[in-house]
This record gives sequence, structure tokens and C-alpha cells, in this order.
Amino acid sequence: MFDLIISKYNYWIYIILMMIGFYAMIGKKNLVKKIIGMNIFQTAIILFFISTASKKGGTLPIIMHGHGAHAVKAASYINPLPHVLMLTAIVVMVSTLGVALAIVIQIYRRYNTLEENEILRLNK
Amino acid sequence: MRFLALIAVIITGIILIYGSVDMPDWGDPHSPASLHVSPRYIEKTMEETATPNMVTSVLADYRGYDTLGETTVIFTAGISCILILRERKRRKKRKINPKNPTNHV
Amino acid sequence: MMLQAPVLIVVIPLMFTFVALIFGLWKKGLCYPIVLIALSLSFLATLQTLNIVITSGIIHYRLGNWNPPWGIEYVVDYLNAFVLPVISFVAIMVAIYSKKSVEKELSDKVVYFYCIFLLQVTGFLGITVTGDMFNLYVFLEIASLAGYALITMGEDGAPFASFNYLIFGTIGACFYLLGVGYLYAATGSLNMADLARLLPDLYGSKVILVGFSFFMVGLAIKMALFPLHVWLPDAYTYAPSSVSALLAPLMTKVGAYVLIRVIYTVFKPYFSIEILPAATILCWIAAAAIIFGAAMALAQTDLKRMLTYILVSEVGYLALGVGLGNRNGLTGAILHILNDAFMMLALFMVVGAIMYRHGGRRISELRYLHKKMPFTMAVFVVAALSVIGIPPTCGFFSKWYLILGAINAHGWIFVAVLLASSLLNAILFFRVIENIYLEPHDGDIVENHDMVAGAEESPLTMLVPILIAGAGILSLGVLSGKIISTIIQFAIPAGF
Repeated sequence: MFDLIISKYNYWIYIILMMIGFYAMIGKKNLVKKIIGMNIFQTAIILFFISTASKKGGTLPIIMHGHGAHAVKAASYINPLPHVLMLTAIVVMVSTLGVALAIVIQIYRRYNTLEENEILRLNK
Repeated sequence: MRFLALIAVIITGIILIYGSVDMPDWGDPHSPASLHVSPRYIEKTMEETATPNMVTSVLADYRGYDTLGETTVIFTAGISCILILRERKRRKKRKINPKNPTNHV
Repeated sequence: MMLQAPVLIVVIPLMFTFVALIFGLWKKGLCYPIVLIALSLSFLATLQTLNIVITSGIIHYRLGNWNPPWGIEYVVDYLNAFVLPVISFVAIMVAIYSKKSVEKELSDKVVYFYCIFLLQVTGFLGITVTGDMFNLYVFLEIASLAGYALITMGEDGAPFASFNYLIFGTIGACFYLLGVGYLYAATGSLNMADLARLLPDLYGSKVILVGFSFFMVGLAIKMALFPLHVWLPDAYTYAPSSVSALLAPLMTKVGAYVLIRVIYTVFKPYFSIEILPAATILCWIAAAAIIFGAAMALAQTDLKRMLTYILVSEVGYLALGVGLGNRNGLTGAILHILNDAFMMLALFMVVGAIMYRHGGRRISELRYLHKKMPFTMAVFVVAALSVIGIPPTCGFFSKWYLILGAINAHGWIFVAVLLASSLLNAILFFRVIENIYLEPHDGDIVENHDMVAGAEESPLTMLVPILIAGAGILSLGVLSGKIISTIIQFAIPAGF
């Protein structure tokens, strides 16, 4: 059991973080809080991906003294692929955030409030 | 409503944690992710792309098409914001919901 | 040039977005022809791809010339070669149709509207053509972001509906990304073919089970499957008419395509049928979706909102066909992707035309429309008959295969559900058609309108795509045997 915690706790922390964001997305009534939740959720996913990249004993994925002819061992550098994927995912996240905020501005212009209950009442 | 949300969140979290039990350990150098596909990026980066930074070589070369998609996402978001936020004169008059005249600012 | 067809499908609409933006800012009127040119070229590329697939088999297109698990590849087999022309054809029809309604509803944002329109189509095509799980996510987000922006442009309730869609859609996309992450942690690969090779050894692993269920939930949100459909009716009701005509036929169909891809190509069919009871659960949810959609549609007084609930019910058909997990069921589902795209295209375009001419769309206000808009209403009737499933129209054939599939799977309840939904749809549409065609009992508003036949027919740019969609519904019905024997029977994933 203790081994399990030691070897997996990183995933669990990210899952808890994800769930905080997820709760804010579906449970909160304020639209901006929902967006903040969305951001937390996506950031936690990014952390999760990055943690799958790590290797004990590995260093940053940049070859030191690169321009020479010597063999590079895969075990001595951490996995670059999740980093690349998350660079893309960060951009996607920022874009979603931008569009979401633009929509929220539009909602505010129309209803003068950002509370879901009041908007639903005004929509009736 | 909030209670339902909480239950959904807890169930999702438990499912995720249940799945993570079989995951490779944190930092395990023998995990599938570090043994399949990625070694080539590390070992061949100098030979195939002449870039010492592997993240760059994967981003711009091996998986360059994802990066095209990424820039397209940004472009989409930019045009979307222009489309959404450009004010029309007609809209401004509707700021106050006509059905609820009590809602003046 | 012809060998590059798979990538041109996506790159042409993407590059023409910039062209449309630059020329559109110079002269507004240039946007519309540029969009039509881009979509037509893309459509030709999809036809060429389909042709290559039929003559010489599956296409593997390596982007940047890197071999598959390391680079990204496009894989076009019979399944997506079949879906691609549907997407670009529907997009062309909507683009032709959009001219008048965009000029009316979004007069000062035409340029940006058409740019997002092209990006939306780029996203759909990119999702469909790719053979890489993460690349699919990127294009899914392009399509979703464009969709949120387009829906926001609609009527008064639209921004809030679009915001709800954004929250739901982001949850769906995040779940999909989590699924990719779980599969990546367990296998180390992102390529669909490579995953299909690596996964069978790991089917007992909890990581795979959880990853699979997150794919299912994420895609169910994206394709608006019943308990997770809540964003759809509002979003598609308030969206501008040409936007609902684009999104309603395509977004759900693309979701269904990805569902088939994940369940039956990335995972082996026996995984979802034997190891997890996913297929059975999908069938029951789909049955609930069919009945719920039809029942909710009955309760609506707004024609467009009624159609959105019919769409929820149609998504149920697709999911049922996928979940039945046998040859006939899948044939029905894949055929229904084509047929339903045409039916929804026709119905939403007709509603848009009614709104363009009348402003209103309440079912009770539709009297005498058959005299004012005879052709438009004729297409509406054809599409309605197709949704109900009357033989010469295409809707009958996909329903027929779904029923055969349900019988093969001994799911008598699903047979009953399919028949009951036909009955409900019949009640639903005859209520509307009665309102349009039959004389009112009390003869009240008759004198207010001059009754010159066809006086208020939809404008030509709207009428032509509507008529083509109507003709498509009839001819696809006649051609369905040929479509199945040349394409769909090969599109069914291996293992059946």
C-alpha cells in the first residue's frame, strides 16, 4: 500500500486538481468561475501528461555538447513527446479561454449579469 | 444541483484513480511511454533533424503537422474573438432586456 | 497532384481561409465566391480520394515523410473515404445557401463569418481524415472553437447557449484528451494503427478500461448522445440559420464517425462487446435517446427546436447501430451518417428559409406556406417522410438495416423502439404538415394574405440547395443498394 502511494501519488494529486476544476465547471453558478474551473481542469491534464514523461535519472531533453559524434542514450533524457503534446494543448487551452471570455463579454453586454440563475430568469 | 455535481465529480475522480493504479510508476525509466516511440526522438534527433533540443525537433519536424493545427487553433480563436466582440450599433440598444424593464442599471 | 489528394482535402479550405480574409477585407463581395471555390476544390479532392480508395485500397499518407508511430499519418480507408465527401458536399450546399441569410442576419461581419465557416469545415475534415489520436484532438478543438463562435452570432439567447455548449464541449474534449493520456501512458503510442496493434495485450489493464470509458463519455458529449445532449437544443435553436444548417448535419455525424473509429478500429470489436459491456450500454442509452428525442419533439411549439430534438433522436439511431455490434447494425449506422446528414440539411435549410421569409417559426404560424413556398414545402415533406422512414426515401433504408441488425442481435426491445419512434415521428410531422397544408377550420387570417402561388418562394440561392438536398434524399434512397455494395460493405471494420 505504501509503495502504491509513493509510486502513484503524482497522478492522484493531478486527479484531485482535475476534479476541483471539473466541479467548478459543472457546480458553480458564476460564468467566470466556470471558466476558472475549466482552466484548472486543463492545467491539471497538462501536469498529468508531463508527469508521464519523467524518467528517474533523466535530464532535460536537450542534448548537451550537441555538435559532436557520440552516442545518445534514451535513458538519460526524459521523454520529449508529452512536452510537445502539451505545448499544443496549452495553445488550445489559451484559445478556448479567449473565446470563452469573448462570449462572456457578449453575455454581460446583453444581460448585465454573469450569474447563471439571473440569466435563466431573464431568458424566460 | 450542486449535490449532483459533487456526486458526478466524486465518481469521475474515483474512476480516474482506479485507472491510475495500473499506471507505470512515476519516473519509471521502463514505462511503455519511455520505451516505445520516444527513444527514436532522443537518439536520432541530431542525425535526422540536426537539432539538439528534442522538444523543438519533435514539435517542428516529427509532429510538425500538429503545430500547424495548433497555429490554426490560435487563428480560429483570434477570428472568433473579432467575430464575437465586434460591436454593432443595433445590439447596443438591446442592452436592457425589453421584457424585464426592472433590470435597469 | 492526385497523390496529394488526402492532405489537400484539409489544406485547401485552411489556406483559402487566409485568401478569403485578405480579399474579403479588400472587397466584401469576394468572400462568397472564394468560399465556394475552396469548398468545391476540397470536394473534388474528397472524390478523388474516394476513387483512389475504391480502385487501389487504403491510403496511408505520411505527413512530413516520417514513418507512422513517430510522425503523423493520414489513413483513409473505406469508412472515412465515405464520410469525407458527405462533409464537403453538405458544406458546399450550406455555403451556397448562406448568402442571403448571412446578409440579413450578420450584415457587417460577413468576412469573419466566412473565415470561421471555412475553419469549421477544415476542422470536420481534419477530424475525419487523420490516423493519429492527438491530431484528432487538435482538429476537434478547431471545429469546436469555430462552432462556439458561429453559434454566438445567433438570436438573443445565443451567447448563453453557446457558453453552455463551450463548457460541455470543453469537458468532452478534456475527457477525450484524458483518454489519450491514459492510452499513451499504457502503450507509449498515439498512432491509431499502432495502438490497435499494441492494445490487445493490455485489455485486462485498468488503465485501458478507464481510458476507453473516458473516450466514450467525451465523444458522447461531442455527438450529443441522450443524457449528455443538454447543450444541443438551445445552441442549435438560437444559432443563425445557416450555422444550424451546417452544424446539425455534421457535428453529430463526425462524432459518430469518431465513435465507430475508436470502438471498432483503435480497439478490437470484441473489447467493447465481450470485455466491457460498452456496446450493450450504448444500445440501451441509444434506445432511451430515440424515445426521449421523439417525445420531447412532440412537446415543442417551435419548429426549429422540434428539429433539434429530432436530431437528438437521430443521434440515438447512429449510436444504436454502432452499439448493436453486427454487420447489419453497422451498415445501418454508416448509411445513416449519409442519410441523416441529408435529412437534417434539408430540414434545417427549410426552417432557415421559412424564417428568412416570415421571421417566425412557430408551428401554428405556418398556415398556407404550401401556397407561398411550394417548392420549399415539398422538400420539407420529402425530408419528413424520410425521417419517418417511408420507402422511396433514404431514411427507410438505414432504418431497415438498423431493424435487421436489432433482429440479428435478438434485441426485440430495440426493434420495438425503432418502430415506435417511426410512429412518433409520423405523428410529429403530420402535425406540422397538417398545419402547413390543410385549411384552417375557422378561416380567420385568410384574407390578410394575397394568395399568388409561389409569391414568397425562398430566394434562388436558398432554393437551389434545398431542392438538391430534397432530390438527394430521394435519389440516395434509390441508390442505397449500390452505395452499400460498392463502399459500405468494405467500410465495416475488420472483425465482423
